[in-house]
Amino acid sequence: MNRPELLSSYNYRSDGRRPTEMRSLSLLLSQHPQADGSATVTHGLTEVMVTVFGPRESKNKAGLAHDRAVLSVTLDVPVFSGVPGGRRGRSDKRNMEFTSNIKNTFEPVIQTHLHPRSQIDINIQILQADGSLLQAAVNATTLALIDAGVPMSDYVCATTCALHDSTPLLDLNSLEENDLPNLTVAVLPRSNKVTLVTLETQLAVERFEEMLKMAVEAGKLVHREMLRAVQNRSEKLMRAIESVGGGVGGRPDHRQGEERDVEMYAGNDL
Amino acid sequence: MPREIDPAISQRAFVLSALKDHRLRVDGRGMQEARTPELIFGDEMGWVECRFGKTRVIAQVSGTIVRPRADRPYEGLLNIHSEISPMASSVYDSGRPSEEEVVITRMLEKVLKKSDALDRESLCIVAGQQVWSIRLTLHFLSDEGNMLDCACLAGVAALKHFRRPEVEVIGEEVIIHDPSERAPMPLSMHHTPICVSLAFFEESAHPILDPTRLETQLASSILAISVTNTASPSPTLCVLQLAGGMPLSTEELTSCIGMAVARARVVGAFLERRLADDWSQRSVRVEVH
Amino acid sequence: MFTIVSPAPRGDDLEYTTTRHHPSVKDEIDMDIEEQGGEFGEGPSRLASPGETITSAQAFMRGHGTYVENEDLVSALTGTIERVNKLVSVRALKSRYNPEVGDLVVGRITEVGPRRWKVDANARQDAVLMLSSINLPGGVQRRKLESDELQMRNFFEEGDLLVAEVQAFFADGAMSLHTRSLKYGKLRNGHLVMVPPALVRRLKSHFYALPCGVDLILGLNGYIWVSKHVKQSEQEGEEGFDAEAVYSNKNDDIDVATRTAIARVSNIIRALARHSTPLTDVLLVEAYDWAIDQDISVKDLSAEETSEAMVAAITFRA
Repeated sequence: MNRPELLSSYNYRSDGRRPTEMRSLSLLLSQHPQADGSATVTHGLTEVMVTVFGPRESKNKAGLAHDRAVLSVTLDVPVFSGVPGGRRGRSDKRNMEFTSNIKNTFEPVIQTHLHPRSQIDINIQILQADGSLLQAAVNATTLALIDAGVPMSDYVCATTCALHDSTPLLDLNSLEENDLPNLTVAVLPRSNKVTLVTLETQLAVERFEEMLKMAVEAGKLVHREMLRAVQNRSEKLMRAIESVGGGVGGRPDHRQGEERDVEMYAGNDL
Repeated sequence: MPREIDPAISQRAFVLSALKDHRLRVDGRGMQEARTPELIFGDEMGWVECRFGKTRVIAQVSGTIVRPRADRPYEGLLNIHSEISPMASSVYDSGRPSEEEVVITRMLEKVLKKSDALDRESLCIVAGQQVWSIRLTLHFLSDEGNMLDCACLAGVAALKHFRRPEVEVIGEEVIIHDPSERAPMPLSMHHTPICVSLAFFEESAHPILDPTRLETQLASSILAISVTNTASPSPTLCVLQLAGGMPLSTEELTSCIGMAVARARVVGAFLERRLADDWSQRSVRVEVH
Repeated sequence: MFTIVSPAPRGDDLEYTTTRHHPSVKDEIDMDIEEQGGEFGEGPSRLASPGETITSAQAFMRGHGTYVENEDLVSALTGTIERVNKLVSVRALKSRYNPEVGDLVVGRITEVGPRRWKVDANARQDAVLMLSSINLPGGVQRRKLESDELQMRNFFEEGDLLVAEVQAFFADGAMSLHTRSLKYGKLRNGHLVMVPPALVRRLKSHFYALPCGVDLILGLNGYIWVSKHVKQSEQEGEEGFDAEAVYSNKNDDIDVATRTAIARVSNIIRALARHSTPLTDVLLVEAYDWAIDQDISVKDLSAEETSEAMVAAITFRA
């Protein structure tokens, strides 16, 4: 069998990248017309779409909590996505592990105590799979939650890292993911701490720290891109809202969703 | 799915404050003190019961000869069957697996199967025709916390304890020797993974080793680390899993790994000793026979 | 140590560097926002993002959408920073409906319970409408009896739409509604359009009669009721008012012209919402006139290019 060379002697990876080069990243927000928040994230050929509904009235009365919002995560892996093994049912163990990882990662980050007795639905759709699915899903979920206006203490930025002999590689495609010891890390950029770590296949203990540090560093980079995407979307939204301005028909200017006390303050001042 | 009832508020406060302010655990153990594992071997080879205090898991290994998968003609099969029945604890349902259960079984699969602990190529008898299919069944008898570590130890011990009949290939013919004729063979293992779980609590910087059921319920997150090559001077990390809970800095995580490696070394040595003990007793019996 | 090569971002997405300030907010945000270390920053911005330090927690008070960590006041949302004296809060640009007492909402009954209805109003929990908070047919003033409890479905049943006002909040944040005004109650003779709640501003009145023979109720929760015009003489309290029809489920006869007008207004609202344009009656009338002027058929209003042209035309006029 002719196995592709994962890292050439000239230090190029199978898809032509340098070891620490990440794939092209695209972050799209508010794509879904119905969802409260949505995002599509592409890392190279991996594409994941996440929609967020809520916080809303819980459909499952037995599952609701009286003091916080509960998260419900679903994952859909269609056959066309190219995930090996064909379609997976809802009770597939890998699916359940994946959704449980997402749920546990976001539960402490979302300020769930602000919305008692409600439910936040996170639906993950794998559109195209080429490695690092968890990374893409975490990043897309973060953006979708932000788009939905769900209060969170920080961004969650995920990256993957593998080790080829002694060279760490960032942002793995499926070839690399299958053959190398690899690590998925989710970073909270504010504190630089990690909230999700999964490691598969064997790796010397001494090597781990180096990879972890690199993944955290790459997480900051992803964070910067996310900030840029969110900022861009917010500016656009604000421009649209301000485009009709306050002066229409001589009506008093009320900014959308104005809070009462602010309104009075502004009114007195102007 | 019956929902687990959260521990009472005052109990929760008591356990957490003891941990946080006095670094005391309710069962009197130190923060990084694990329960002493017990391994009980059955009469049959490949039957092992592992106990961590009141947590009990039985592992049993059996082998059959099957056709290999078409895409991997040189490899034998390892199947892990585990279901947490309501016997372990009333919160487990016999129908659809709960999330907690899936996390345990997936972790076991990664530790024992995906990490290539078992040398699957050694299970090949005739390429593309006949290979050994090894079935590992795990029965969770009672849950008093840390079932993952217990099940992992039981599973590894059972795989190492199991002896398969010797097989001889003469031309086209495959002869399976009865254990009474020829001494059966142990399975060839690449490495021996040991799982160590650490529990983290809100606002307490110190993780605890080998959490009990109550501690698991109260924990903000569980870090599961599996370490192999524990006997060698440079052990390897095999699987590591942490999701949510209190975020950790890289330094904290590294120190947790150090802790887990130290613990895994102790457990690994214990496992080898117990296996040797058991084997020496059995050898005597063979001689008498 | 190592280099991370970042892909160049797409060219057209780079126009974010200028931050425009709304005239009325400019003064309010005139506070010392801490400089973000290189990453975020070309000076103070009035947009905050989760995890971003807004200011010191010692000098300011924590409002909605923020939290305190290590003496820093940190944003929990993406949205605009607002300050009232010492209170700093962040409001999301887009979120579910945030109810406040006195708000006018359009809702839909989801559940009939003991002496109460559950109402979906696009908020984080279903709202509650108590039996004691509705008007009896014919404006009869009396306590609700057991017999009323038994025939609650005669007033509202699952699936009914209604317009109501937010009366109060429960301890868990769910809102309680009331319909004890002649303006409020069951809705019929029309069509519901749902838009993001942020697009409906607080106005002096939320009931409009458009010149095209269409009545409009702009619920602050983003539910908009577009219906056939009710003549002055038939309005409640007037001569021709049919008291028994208040809780009727039957639509009146609506002629084709009115139906077309309703459809046209609905499509205009949807098109504006797609472009995140805030809705006011004046804007809708302008859009309606524009559509008539340009001779655009009702169904063409949903086409992307038409709606773009419309938004451009009316926002330019404004």
